[in-house]
Amino acid sequence: MIEFRNVSKTYSTGSEVIHNANFKIEKGEFAFLIGASGSGKSTIIKLILKEENPTSGKIIINGKDTTNLKPSKIPYLRRSMGIVFQDFRLLPDRNVYENVAFAMHVVKATPRHIKRQVPMVLSQVGLADKAKKFPNELSGGEQQRVALARAIVNNPSMLIADEPTGNLDPNTAWDIMELLNEINLRGTTVLVATHAKDIVDRMNKRVIQIDGGNIIRDKKGGYDSEI
Amino acid sequence: MRFNSIGYMISEGFKSFFKQKKMTSASIIIMCATMFMFGIFYLIGENVNFAMSQLEGEQGIRVMIKDGATDSEIEKLKVDIQAIDGVSTVTFVSKSEALATVKSWISGSSDSEDLLDGYEEDNPFPASYFVTLTDLNKNSEVQEKIKALDNVSDLSTNNDVITKLATLARTIQIITLVLLLILVAISIFIIAYTIKLTVYARRREISIMKYVGATNGFIRGPFIVEGIIIGIVSALITLIIIGFAYNAVLTKMMSSAVMQSISISLYTFKALFARVLIVYLILGIGIGTLGSTISMNKYLKV
Ligand SMILES: Nc1ncnc2c1ncn2[C@@H]1O[C@H](COP(=O)(O)OP(=O)(O)OP(=O)(O)O)[C@@H](O)[C@H]1O
Ligand SMILES: [Mg+2]
Repeated sequence: MIEFRNVSKTYSTGSEVIHNANFKIEKGEFAFLIGASGSGKSTIIKLILKEENPTSGKIIINGKDTTNLKPSKIPYLRRSMGIVFQDFRLLPDRNVYENVAFAMHVVKATPRHIKRQVPMVLSQVGLADKAKKFPNELSGGEQQRVALARAIVNNPSMLIADEPTGNLDPNTAWDIMELLNEINLRGTTVLVATHAKDIVDRMNKRVIQIDGGNIIRDKKGGYDSEI
Repeated sequence: MRFNSIGYMISEGFKSFFKQKKMTSASIIIMCATMFMFGIFYLIGENVNFAMSQLEGEQGIRVMIKDGATDSEIEKLKVDIQAIDGVSTVTFVSKSEALATVKSWISGSSDSEDLLDGYEEDNPFPASYFVTLTDLNKNSEVQEKIKALDNVSDLSTNNDVITKLATLARTIQIITLVLLLILVAISIFIIAYTIKLTVYARRREISIMKYVGATNGFIRGPFIVEGIIIGIVSALITLIIIGFAYNAVLTKMMSSAVMQSISISLYTFKALFARVLIVYLILGIGIGTLGSTISMNKYLKV
């Protein structure tokens, strides 16, 4: 569950980027976050990840106010979220298996658990046969699947994706979106920031639209449905 | 912290130790050079202290009494010496005791026993007072005053040597301390710089680690391990180099005429090995930990 209560954000360098944002994404929901370039989508995601702090207002994650969370507790907050970016962010010197296992090492999973869990999520994203490949031997879509596998391998309660299909052709993008939908059907809350109009239209999910830092729409429907 | 995560940190630390070959070797060379310099003075210092401990038993002034002196004159001399400021104890050594001591010195070399046999009848060794001091700094002052007394034939002492050694020891102590500070400063700087490069090379990995919820300790672990490895490797390399250098110098010195003429022995490296190893390891591990920690507080905002 992600809740913004009167959240505003001004970066130290400039004007207000998010103005008095209010929304609540329930457990198990699937929501898109859309808006023009520079409208503040990534900023909202950074606020959720607590990479940035709100200038005012409250952000509540899984029932906990994260506004005054101690820096030493941030890693534990992030373990409740899987994160996917446009540029995949894989480690080029590690193969697919190692890239996914890495996320488990980091949270100090046991070797036994890692051995069981990694092949499972790799087959879930359709990469069971590519475990030994390195990122540069994979297509963009496959790389994003690895990133997805890494994001869900620790069973987070929510998945946050910032333009996950930005670097992919429409067909591959749609495959990734179907995967996100599958993950959502298993009970994970999913929030996707995107520009991909056709995908948003086709998915027919909740859409939170932001423009110049203001949330101007929050309802189910397509990309351009009337406000 | 679970064992497997410690194992993970150590293996990651080793990996980046071998990845950053150029910078790592550069920092090891610099650390070895500074540790070597420090080691030289440390070893000299240990030997000076050793020499002082050997001479400590002989710390005092031997006051030879004129052969013709009567018992009451000898007794008066003792009272006079004791009255001098800075004198601690005054012990009488009779002529026969002096002979016995000399005999005990040369016993061991074969036919020396009978060499001194005839002397019992006509003992040439004078009776003496052995005077110890409360403070070595008053050495020359006390000597002047004793010389001025009646019935004193001669003085002999090692105090000058001991005083000089004490000054030397103090100087070396200061040099060692200064070198230690310089060593620590240079080494911390160079390790911090090396780790900074590693952090930079692995910034992508670090940012991913942060996103998947790694704790600060977990992110820092491998870098601290890397710093410690650099410290330990430098310590061990320097230990080997300084060991060979020390033995080479020691052999030269021992065969020189000067060292053979004085009865002071020096440490072998074997005797110092454990001490040097411990000092170097403490330094290496300490500097490694400190350097990498400082580097991360500065460059790794986690
Ligand atoms: N770290 C920062 N410091 C200062 N200003 C920033 C920072 N990050 C973003 N901004 C500004 O905040 C505004 C919103 O940026 P943000 O990245 O949230 O937009 P976005 O909706 O994700 O855009 P895009 O679709 O291009 O990714 C922009 O005007 C941007 O210049
Ligand atoms: Mg963005």
